[in-house]
This record gives sequence, C-alpha cells and structure tokens, in this order.
Amino acid sequence: MKSEAKVGLLFVIAIVGIAAFAYFLGILNPFSNSRSLNIMYNFAGGIEEGSPVRVMGIKVGKVRKIEFTPDYKSPAGEEVKLKVVIDVDKKAWTSIRKDSKYFINLAGVIGEKFLEISPGSLDSGELAAGDYVRGEDPPRIDQLISQSYGLAGKIIELVEKNEGKVSNVIAQMDKLVTNVNKTLVLLDKTSKNKDVSRLVDNAIKISDDMAYLTGQLRTKKAEDTYALVHKLLFRLENLDGPAIKKFLQEEGIKAKLF
Amino acid sequence: MMVAALEKLGGGLTVGSKAVSEFIVLVAETMSEMLRPPFRWRDWLRQLHFVANQSLPIVLFCVCFAAMVTILESSFHMKMVIQNDSMVPGFASMLILRELAAVVTALLLTSRVGAGMTAEVGTMKITEQIEALQMLGIRPVQFLVVPRLIACVLGATILTLLASLVCLWAAQLVSEFYLGFTPALFLTAMRRFVSFQDLLFAGIKGACFGAVIPLVSCYFGFRCQSGAEGVGAATTRSVVTSSVAIIVIDFVLSFLFSFTY
Repeated sequence: MKSEAKVGLLFVIAIVGIAAFAYFLGILNPFSNSRSLNIMYNFAGGIEEGSPVRVMGIKVGKVRKIEFTPDYKSPAGEEVKLKVVIDVDKKAWTSIRKDSKYFINLAGVIGEKFLEISPGSLDSGELAAGDYVRGEDPPRIDQLISQSYGLAGKIIELVEKNEGKVSNVIAQMDKLVTNVNKTLVLLDKTSKNKDVSRLVDNAIKISDDMAYLTGQLRTKKAEDTYALVHKLLFRLENLDGPAIKKFLQEEGIKAKLF
Repeated sequence: MMVAALEKLGGGLTVGSKAVSEFIVLVAETMSEMLRPPFRWRDWLRQLHFVANQSLPIVLFCVCFAAMVTILESSFHMKMVIQNDSMVPGFASMLILRELAAVVTALLLTSRVGAGMTAEVGTMKITEQIEALQMLGIRPVQFLVVPRLIACVLGATILTLLASLVCLWAAQLVSEFYLGFTPALFLTAMRRFVSFQDLLFAGIKGACFGAVIPLVSCYFGFRCQSGAEGVGAATTRSVVTSSVAIIVIDFVLSFLFSFTY
C-alpha cells in the first residue's frame, strides 16, 4: 500500500472513530427511534438539556431542548413559561397516557436531575407525538428553606415572649419528675420488704381458699343443703316463743336424763 | 562581584530575547510561506505518513497503558475516599479526554518526531545543504518547515483523537475485567460527565501541540552548531523546549477551555 493510501486510511479511521464516539454519547443517532413531547413547566428545578427521561424508573430518552415561552397559554388558560422538549423511545411511548404525570426528580450520589413520567391508566388515550402537556412543578427547595426560617423565627419569638412561663413549666416538670422518682424508689424498697412479701403471700393464700370455698358453694351438694335449711326455717317460723321454750325445756330435761 | 552578576543577567536576557525574537520571526515566516506557492503536496503527505502513521503504534501502546493506570488509580482513590467507585469511568474518561491523551501523545511525538526533525534540519545546516537550497532559489522555510508544520498539526490532531478513543476503549476494557463495570455501566457513567466538546477540545489541544513541535525543532535545527556534538545539543534542547512548551500550553488551553464549561 502506498503511503498516501495509508494516510487516507488513518483519516477515515479517525472520522469513523469520532462518529462512533458521538453515537455512544448519544449525540449522533442515525437509527433514531423516538418521539418527542413538549412538557410545560413554570419551574423546572435545574433540569438540563441531555438530562435523562425515565418512565417507571427506566431510562427511555432524554431532554432535547429547553425553551422559554413567555407568551404560551395552556388550553385551560394557564400561563406556563417554560417548554421542555423530550425524546421518548417508541417502546415506552404507549405507556405514556393522557393522565400521566411529569415529575422532576433527583438521583444518584451527585444529585443528577431527571424527568420521571408516571404511567397513565389504560382507559385514558395515547398522546400524539409533539403534544403539549403540563408537568408537575417540583417543590422549590429555596421556598421551603425560607418558610422554615420563618417558622424557626416564630418559635424563637414564642419562647422569648413567654420566657417566665416556660421556665416555670420546666421547673414544675422537674419537680414532678423528682417526686415520681422518689415514689418509684419507695415502691422498689417496699417490694423488697420481708413483712410485705409475707403479707402478699398470705393474701394470695386467702384468695386461693376463697376461690375454693366459693367453688364448693356452687356444687349440687351445697345447693341441697341450702334447700334443707330453707325448709327447716320455714317450719320453724310457725313456732312462737313459748312453744320453743317448752320444747327446749322438755328436750333439756331429756338431755339431762341421759 | 555585583557588576559581574548584573552582566551575567543582562547577557542572559539579551540572548533570551534574541532567541525569542528569532523564534517569532521563524513563526511569522512559516505562516507567510504557508500561503505562498508552490504547495508541496507530496512533501506534506510524506511528512504526514512519518508523523501520523509511523507514530501510531507507539502512541496507542503508550496511551493504553496510561489509561489503565488512570482508571485503576482513580478507582483505588475513590474506594479509599468514599468507598464507592461508581463514578470512576465518568471522571477517568474526562481526565483521559481533556488531558491525558493529548499530552501523552504530544510528548511522545516530541521525542519521536521532534528529535528527528532537529537532527535532520541540523545536519542539513552543518553540511551547508540549507545554503545550497538558497542558492537553488528554494526558500528553506518553505521547503523544510511548512510541510513539517502542516503534517504535524494534522497528524497530531488525528493522533490525539485516535489516542483519546483508543484510550477510552482501553479504560473500558480494564474497568470491565478488573473493576467489574459492564460496558453499559461504563457508558452511563461516562455520559454523565463527558460531552462531545471534550473530544473537540482534545483535537484543538492536539493541533496546538502539533504546531509547537516542528516550529521548535526546526528553530533549533536552523541554529545548530557544527559537528556531531552540535547536532546532539540542538536535539536535546529542542526536545526539552518542546516538552516544556507543551506542558505550559496545555495549562493555558485548559484554563481557556474552563471558561466554556
């Protein structure tokens, strides 16, 4: 091979290499198989051109372009000032429905921003390529911080205004805790006392006996006894004082005789 | 004592400023000669073959090893610092593209091509071939420097681009076999950091380094002292100056490019 041809070959290889690099970086794609969608935001939380687009967490495309659209009005009449054009792979396209939601999220250790699309329901229709949809504006961290600053300020103010009361409450709480502690200590000592434990043991025995007794009282035999006593009392009711006296006297004599 | 020191300083400054002005004259002359016919296409191609094709194996071999070291070291450091090397392909590729490939290629070209050019031009100088050229009505700068400059600029650019790509490929292979990154993981991490302009800037760096090598080499060749010793000294000075110039220019270019990120 002549040296000219070798030089030419080297240049061709270099150009092919550069094209391959561009392809792997995703800049150049002659076999593009994606559809675009315009998502409107009022705040896009730091998303950039080239940020990944994910459907259900799987990367399916990327942000192609970000445009400022100061005069855009949505069909609902809302002014939305930022247009994010995304490319979505055809295989994921049918998962995006008219009721899909478009979030801007953070991922990874370096806090990379990405656009997350929630899959819509099957009942709502498919979108057409190039449609305009409204995205969910991400929460403004700066606003959150400024609000929490305000909250912190109010808490400090509250505490400073009621300083006497607050310290009083704290002092009372302190006393309360001390008292509860003392009580607990006393209780602890009591539970370890010998007399008390004997007392408790006896109480347990008594209650056991009582349980046995009441159990016995509920048996058939006991019930018969009640009935007999009842009958006896019924019969004794008719007897008046003198009759009983006479009876006892007679019985007493008999008893003395034996 | 004091006077002697001042004299030394003044002498040094005079020699230095004279050298710088001569170098600037050479650069200006080369630029103007580049636009004037005759255009020596065959010479350009012959030089390009020498600079690009014949340097290709050694350049690729060296940058591959540099890439391996880079990615293994970065992984080791990241594991040491944050116990996680998932971002290593990303910033190792960035380092390769922005610095490593361009500088290593340029330094290798300096030692291979630059030294050869100085020796060649220097020998022509001491054997009075340059004067002979002048007598034949051939402008030495046009005949010797212009083809080498064009060949070096083109060749260094192409070599830097190829070296960057092969370097990335070597890094990918090493990360796959030693660090367990699949090609997809490597690409994902790389895409997060690397953009196409990094390769473009590598090409621009390559072109600038490529311009430095023949200009410095031919300058020292033209100023070569007679004798084998003179050629040796000129070659040494040429390689040292080119290397230092490449590293300084690398810093300047990196600084300038940092404004575009």
